[in-house]
Amino acid sequence: MAHTAEFDAKAAWDGGQSPFRVSYGKMMMWFFLVSDALTFGGLLVSYGFIRHKYAEVWPKAENVFTHFPFIEQHLPLAYVGLMTFILIMSSVTMVLAVEAGHRMDRRGVTMWMFWTIVGGALFVGSQAWEWYHFIVGTHEGALRNVWDMATGTYVQQTYHGATMAVNEYGVPQFANYFFFITGFHGFHVFSGVMINLIIFLNVLKGTYEKRGHYEMIEKVGLYWHFVDLVWVFVFTFFYLL
Amino acid sequence: MSEFHDDYPSYETMYNHSEEEGKKARKVLWKVFWVMLFITIFELIVGSMAPSHGWSGTLGLKVLFIGLTVVKAAAIVLWFMHLGHETKFFKYIILLPYITFILYAVFIILVEGVYSGYPRNMTRVDKIFIDQQEKLKAGHHGGGGAAHEAEAPHGEEHH
Repeated sequence: MAHTAEFDAKAAWDGGQSPFRVSYGKMMMWFFLVSDALTFGGLLVSYGFIRHKYAEVWPKAENVFTHFPFIEQHLPLAYVGLMTFILIMSSVTMVLAVEAGHRMDRRGVTMWMFWTIVGGALFVGSQAWEWYHFIVGTHEGALRNVWDMATGTYVQQTYHGATMAVNEYGVPQFANYFFFITGFHGFHVFSGVMINLIIFLNVLKGTYEKRGHYEMIEKVGLYWHFVDLVWVFVFTFFYLL
Repeated sequence: MSEFHDDYPSYETMYNHSEEEGKKARKVLWKVFWVMLFITIFELIVGSMAPSHGWSGTLGLKVLFIGLTVVKAAAIVLWFMHLGHETKFFKYIILLPYITFILYAVFIILVEGVYSGYPRNMTRVDKIFIDQQEKLKAGHHGGGGAAHEAEAPHGEEHH
């Protein structure tokens, strides 16, 4: 964009102005996102560690996530593909809201923010659906040694679905990491939808029209894109590899 | 209406743009979207074809997926989050610490992950699971290996 052209990089460090040409709020949002990205990075790296350790017994995602709503067929990765599409789509509508804000186009901002919220809500709902099927499991189940509290021994039985201790898909750590990482990401999406909703109400009230700029849209946009960014990595490391 | 009390340029003079500039910006954004959608669909097709072709878990496939993921991540950060439009200093202050840390973490975890997978480094938790797997192998599943057992409930539909 044009504003960087007239920027004198050397004079910027002489004091009296922000050398980054970023407002305080936006910079703090970026710093928060870096720290949050470090958290997710740590989680995914520890996931990689455990996966390497149990490389021989780690289940394949194509064999675990095979369901699709209303269709009784074996469709590996189809639903998670749809979820990814929904999230990328809502990321696009978000950036279009930011762009509309740069033109002070209140109607555009309202419309695109609305679709962003719809996309986010659809994604959270899809994740709930996926968790439900993961926890309930398949009809066949798999033979597992389940700890019996009463006798204090492992009892062999056919086990369906997943808990933190046992799951029918493979090592217990598989379900642990699935719940923790997609849960942590899902909570981020949920908070993102809530924050988007608050900003959306402010747009309706005309708060930013009065303020003279729609920077707030850009700030929540940064958070929302970050959520999409994390999902890109979760999608690769959980479902594809 | 800037929050700054110096002569720092306000948000609207820095970022607001005209109709034509907006049109150009939107064109770029939609292009980024189509590229990302194409990459995702390509990944899904390759991902669901991989098992029947025996590519699953091969190094080439892993590198391909991770490479495409980094491309998508870069597209999001540079165009959707507008980091490409910020000043050079700001780009570095956001990206350098993060990339440095993550490269180190990935390196150390690959080394340690392989090392901790050796049988002599297994902890008590590992032995319990391995015992389970051994018992299952010896008992009900008649010769089915541990890796096979993980896939067992779904294996039949797949072939």
